[in-house]
Amino acid sequence: MSAGSLPKGAIIRDPGFPTKRENYLTTSSGVFSWMFTLDHKRIGMMYLAGVSISFGVAGLLALAIRLHLLSPDGWLFNRPIFKSFTDSEPNDIYNQVFTLHGAIMVFLFIIPSIPAALGNFLVPVMLGAKDVAFPRLNLCSFYLWVFGAIFFVSALFASGLDTGWTFYTPYSTTTNSSVILATMGAFILGFSSIFTGLNFIVTINTMRPPGMTWFKMPLFLWATYSTSIIQVLATPVLGITLLLLIAERVMHIGIFDPEFNGDPVTYQHFFWFYSHPAVYIMILPAFGIISELISVHSHKHIFGYRFIAYSSIAIALLGFLVWGHHMFTAGMSSLTTIIFSALTFTVSIPSAIKVFNWLATMYKGSICLTTPMCYAISFLFLFTIGGLTGLFLGTLATDLHLHDTYFIVAHFHYVMVGGTLVAFLGGVFHWWPKMVGKMYDEKGGQVSALLVFLGFNLTFLPQFVMGSRGMPRRYATYDPEFAFLHQMSTVGSLLLGLGLLVALVVLMMSLYRGKRAPANPWGGATLEWMCTSPPPFYNFDRAPVVGDPYEFHWIEWDESNERYVSVEPERKLVPGEEPAHAPAHSSHKH
Amino acid sequence: MTPNLHEFMFSSLSIPNLGSPTLLADVNDGFWFPTQASSFAAEADWVYFMILWICILFFVPMVFCMVYFPYKYMKAKGGKAESNVSHNTPLELAWSILPSFLLVWMFIQGTWAFLDVRQPPDGAYDIGVQAFKWGWTFDYGGGTFHPELHILKDEPTKMSMRSADVIHSLYIPAFRAKKDIVPGRYNFMWFKPTLASEKVSEIELNNAKTEFAKAGGTWDYEKHQFTPDGYRFYDLYCAEYCGKDHSAMQTVVVVHETRAELDDWIKQYSTRGTDSLEVYGEKLYNRRGCASCHSLDGTKRTGPTFQGFFDRKHEFVDGSSITVDQNYVRESILDPKAQVVRDYPPVMPSFKGQLSDDDIDSIYAFLQTLSSSSPTTETKAETVAEPTAATE
Repeated sequence: MSAGSLPKGAIIRDPGFPTKRENYLTTSSGVFSWMFTLDHKRIGMMYLAGVSISFGVAGLLALAIRLHLLSPDGWLFNRPIFKSFTDSEPNDIYNQVFTLHGAIMVFLFIIPSIPAALGNFLVPVMLGAKDVAFPRLNLCSFYLWVFGAIFFVSALFASGLDTGWTFYTPYSTTTNSSVILATMGAFILGFSSIFTGLNFIVTINTMRPPGMTWFKMPLFLWATYSTSIIQVLATPVLGITLLLLIAERVMHIGIFDPEFNGDPVTYQHFFWFYSHPAVYIMILPAFGIISELISVHSHKHIFGYRFIAYSSIAIALLGFLVWGHHMFTAGMSSLTTIIFSALTFTVSIPSAIKVFNWLATMYKGSICLTTPMCYAISFLFLFTIGGLTGLFLGTLATDLHLHDTYFIVAHFHYVMVGGTLVAFLGGVFHWWPKMVGKMYDEKGGQVSALLVFLGFNLTFLPQFVMGSRGMPRRYATYDPEFAFLHQMSTVGSLLLGLGLLVALVVLMMSLYRGKRAPANPWGGATLEWMCTSPPPFYNFDRAPVVGDPYEFHWIEWDESNERYVSVEPERKLVPGEEPAHAPAHSSHKH
Repeated sequence: MTPNLHEFMFSSLSIPNLGSPTLLADVNDGFWFPTQASSFAAEADWVYFMILWICILFFVPMVFCMVYFPYKYMKAKGGKAESNVSHNTPLELAWSILPSFLLVWMFIQGTWAFLDVRQPPDGAYDIGVQAFKWGWTFDYGGGTFHPELHILKDEPTKMSMRSADVIHSLYIPAFRAKKDIVPGRYNFMWFKPTLASEKVSEIELNNAKTEFAKAGGTWDYEKHQFTPDGYRFYDLYCAEYCGKDHSAMQTVVVVHETRAELDDWIKQYSTRGTDSLEVYGEKLYNRRGCASCHSLDGTKRTGPTFQGFFDRKHEFVDGSSITVDQNYVRESILDPKAQVVRDYPPVMPSFKGQLSDDDIDSIYAFLQTLSSSSPTTETKAETVAEPTAATE
């Protein structure tokens, strides 16, 4: 069937547009209707606003870091303006700024970004459910996040924390900065993360609609499920670390501090036992988004569904066994070091499988280079570099040289920014019409994807070279031989910032000037595209019947109304079940 | 595995030399790496380029797919996919399992080289290292300490490292060697330098020395690109974040061609010799890391300035105060945290067992030259009791 001509006589299903009373954004109004809402969609949107603000703050701090490193002796924090409102020395300001940048990015943005913001919005809708299993717990975890964020950021500011986001002892316990308060903040945020994970596990286990077996779930749900398992199992370790720190400070029991016969490396074990799985909390949901994006915008069945689903679980489990690779130079025994190196290599396999499967999904597809697809392809490129450079760090001989240099900085930015952030942006652009009911300017979105891609590479590619050449990380000043590479990196970061700004403007403009979004603007087959944009308060009148979430042949482009619609005769129904009826208001409005 | 087998495997694999990136690495200070100056550097770089080529082997076809597929299969909205194959198990198994062999190979190569680095050979030349906020002291034995690391070409050298305060990490990019220094324990590392440092011409050295004598202050390694003794050097960095002056916690490595040359250098710094107390005290001030925290010109650094040291009253965090005398100087060097001057952090490491009585006397004599007044011996007895009482 060619584009624009719908078969005569076929039953065309399209939910149409929501009325003002149905639309979850307008169904009730007033500040309290948002503050005390139990609606997962509103909570998701509040998270989205929260993590975006955190990202904005931490991103500006990143620009400050890059501007400081414009010249070998430091530029930005040496400006006289800083002398006027602080008596800290430039090096101290630099150290506090990179600590804040890392801590806010990790604990307030990357960890909650996809699971809490997009996950909250999408998990119940993708399941055809009305809400998550425990809506009150969901609201509670949002407020824990808000409270934790305020507590954490004020602890960092009040004590001028300059330890790096890892809070390594004994440096963190011997400076005047308060590691206990900061860890407590991180742990409150951790609780928010545990509750969200718990909620999703129960929701996915118990609330799948008729017909949605485990292997008929959208891959985003598989990714969310794996992430939730890690959140529930790993985060409590952060609490244990906190208790041990307090026991040491208060009762002087030697655990981490050599002053009381403790061992600082023990702290690193505890810290990374949480923080390494946390790396997978950050990247797994991104994998889920990319699986959806590539398949929908290629209009082709995802290739190797089971391999992708299993590899998420494999990563979640193996991710618990590799924390030691952060400590290859710390002086662990040779045997331990070698075992951790071997285990580290095993994690690379499931990640590689996913990338191969995504590429195979595009093969012989019907690809539309929409904004989300541009971000998805950008993700593939950047994440591949991030993953491959991980091999240099998992290999012991080369890690001894590259550890704690800019090579590491570049590597994890390729994974965390090139991976998670780019996937997050792709996801936001993909589901934006669903979330707010407005289409954005496609050209503007594509420009933002291109700027982000170019700016990001210009920022971080030179850092691989710097690292190989021996430039240590966390240096406020550096040898002049690195000046040119640092300056390239700074120019790149400004370009990256510009790209992100364009993305923000494009999305905000859509709220005022965007066209009304159809229920299914991209031709997706998962359930969120079967309800109106934005979804009604209760998502679905009754549990919809589901088939294969990646079966696109019954979805047709309706040229005259610029929307994709489901064409009924080809739709597979589960025997014995009635087809889901479109609500009365939604009959053909065109 | 025997070293012989290792050598055999290693050399047989490295024969093809893997083309252009290796060429880049072979020139001193290539695009990717600094000079290869230790036996381990060549090994690590070889593993690096092996991984790099494997990565390129995968990356190029993958990028080709990323670019070519969207170009080739781009269709207008509503177009249908040409194929809807949902999986191909043999293909997927192949691309899951086959790359694993390459990973195993990488792991083995990396671990082999790593085991070499872990086991210092018997009879290696042992140098003690003390890392502190923010500097280095190398212990050459026999009471000789110096902030520069001087070692011998082709001589396996073992570093026995300890930290006076927080975690540091000794990193010499030219040697591709790095090891954390964790307080509360000794950490060890070793390497065999293979490339001796050049010596600059006498004329160049003399010019720099005259300039230095005129300008005063501390020797600017970055500007001159050679040490005050006229040697070119390799950089030595602290790689583990350790606070305010982390990025300034750098020193230099000089590799000597012959043992005689190294011995001469060490002898030059071993004892006071014929120097007067004052002159030797100034050398210790520069050599033992005092200079990084205590200025001579009144600028405020991490510690109080030594300018007019005996002219002012020193106020401590506990509220007490004294006028400096010989005992106070001694106590501050051996037990710096007993009395901490107000507005300064308690970060100075103890030099107990590292400075002889003669060394301390020399420093004291040097400090006296910086003040107009000097303490009288009579007041000494009274002030000793006071600070001790105040500590409790």
